[in-house]
Amino acid sequence: MEKLQYRPGGGSKLMTRALLMLLAIVMLVPVAVTLLYSFFSPAEIKAFMATRGSYDAQKWIEIKLSPQLFSLKQYDQILIRDISILRMFVNSAFYTVMILLGQAVVTPMMAYALSRFRFRGRDALFFGIIMLMLLPFQVTMVPNVLTLRSLGLLNTVWAVILPMWFTPFYIFLIRQFMLGLPNELMEAGQVDGAGTVRCYIHIVLPVCRPIIGAAVALSFADCWNLVEQPMTYLSQNIELQPLSVMFNQLASESSGIEFAGAAIYILPALFIYLYFLKDILAGVQLTELK
Amino acid sequence: MFTHKKSMWLFLLPGALGLMLFYIVPFFGGIYYSLTDGSYKNAFVGLTNYVNIWQNQMFVLGLKNTMELSLICAPLVWLLSFAIASLLNRLRPRGAFFRNSVLLPYLMPSSAMLLIWLVAFDYGGVINRVVTALGFERVMWLEGAPLRVPIVLLFVWKNLGFAVIIFLAALQAIPEPLYEFARLEGAGFWRQTFGITLPMIVPTAFLVIILEWINAFKIFKEVYFIGGAYPDETVYTLQNYMNNMYGKLNYQNVTTAAYSFAVIVFALFGALFIIQRRLIRRLS
Repeated sequence: MEKLQYRPGGGSKLMTRALLMLLAIVMLVPVAVTLLYSFFSPAEIKAFMATRGSYDAQKWIEIKLSPQLFSLKQYDQILIRDISILRMFVNSAFYTVMILLGQAVVTPMMAYALSRFRFRGRDALFFGIIMLMLLPFQVTMVPNVLTLRSLGLLNTVWAVILPMWFTPFYIFLIRQFMLGLPNELMEAGQVDGAGTVRCYIHIVLPVCRPIIGAAVALSFADCWNLVEQPMTYLSQNIELQPLSVMFNQLASESSGIEFAGAAIYILPALFIYLYFLKDILAGVQLTELK
Repeated sequence: MFTHKKSMWLFLLPGALGLMLFYIVPFFGGIYYSLTDGSYKNAFVGLTNYVNIWQNQMFVLGLKNTMELSLICAPLVWLLSFAIASLLNRLRPRGAFFRNSVLLPYLMPSSAMLLIWLVAFDYGGVINRVVTALGFERVMWLEGAPLRVPIVLLFVWKNLGFAVIIFLAALQAIPEPLYEFARLEGAGFWRQTFGITLPMIVPTAFLVIILEWINAFKIFKEVYFIGGAYPDETVYTLQNYMNNMYGKLNYQNVTTAAYSFAVIVFALFGALFIIQRRLIRRLS
């Protein structure tokens, strides 16, 4: 009887928990510390950041875990006094919203056509999408630039937004999910007299909620961390740069407010994470990815 | 499955047109640039650009670093995520907190995390405190070859979680009766792992290594965050080279570099695909 209850490694669950706890700390601490440091006064952060870069083997950077004075000055600075960071934050938000809106229209429709319709050239098209998915940005950047240049869109916001609407990975992801939907679902709709469009809007889209939620969250993560695209496509237009490109400079010449800048950048991501967590987990679990 | 429906075009066209316009047509059209000399007359030069680019030191350096960094990052994420998913699977049905905290960084902008990274990896930072506590000499993480360590770790930190949940979903999909049966037959932990778990997750393992490798090929953000726009030559990636050439409006070099890289990428993934098919055939 005892042998039946044996589970692999059942005795060492404590060890498993300890290892995972350590891992969770490593994963969470950078985020927590960034948020914490945003409540230090700018002067304290400035002094703290200035102790970096010393190659004196006797000196250490202090490990700061509580501020001398709990302060909202950093936030006051970036939200009210000098809104240059806020402006870049708005750029990021604009790109993200525009890209997600476009993807929300294009991607599920394409996935629907590729999974629920039979037509000539479908497999070739899907193969092409897989090939595009494999190509790194260094390669796809070239076709993108050629098109953007001939359309005269380089150095405008559309240069960042338009190519992202057609990101192949999300077409692939949602198609794989739709393939797994039972045929009876559509047939039931057709019996009720629904055409392909009504099937799409009233049956397919609601059922695809987890994978679309997952795709939104994953795509948000890409958009919120854009670097390559704005750096190349908007190289002549500093005002259009999103905040993700600028942290580099904020760090190199500390003005004491960079942690509040990072914190306001983390907050929307945290919100998206909490809101879509269930969808990501369910989406990955229910999709036949192989 | 719908057949012969005109409404299909409604669903297909927006996406297909976009893909054609931004990716597929210019991808083939761009080959033209890589075969001409870029002068006023734009003369056809055959494969000269391709021969030249392999003699271009910066291209070769960028390619070498991109390959090396991706060969460190992708397998590292792959192995770690499998190990972590296995640990999480043991705690089933609990362990949600651990799973969720591993996934959190995937949604975090690594751009905003770079501040903490720079502080932690400073010569007097926390990482070096740990290093000396373990009895080693301090390391200058932010200069020269050691730069790769914070860059790779930032990549791993961010990308680990998604791979973990893919593996975890695959592990949880293995039917429990398989294990029960194996246990009745007297199979121990290792027999179960090699006899059941590994064969069942080969397709997933293949998917994860591909996804992570695609991701790792793009590695540039992390380099830009930590090493700046003109980084040390040990972390000078292909993207740095492309940005450079693009800034100089040298379309010949940009396109030639891109297509050379595309050929390498397809060759690698093609080889991986063949390996996977052989493996599955042998295991089943």
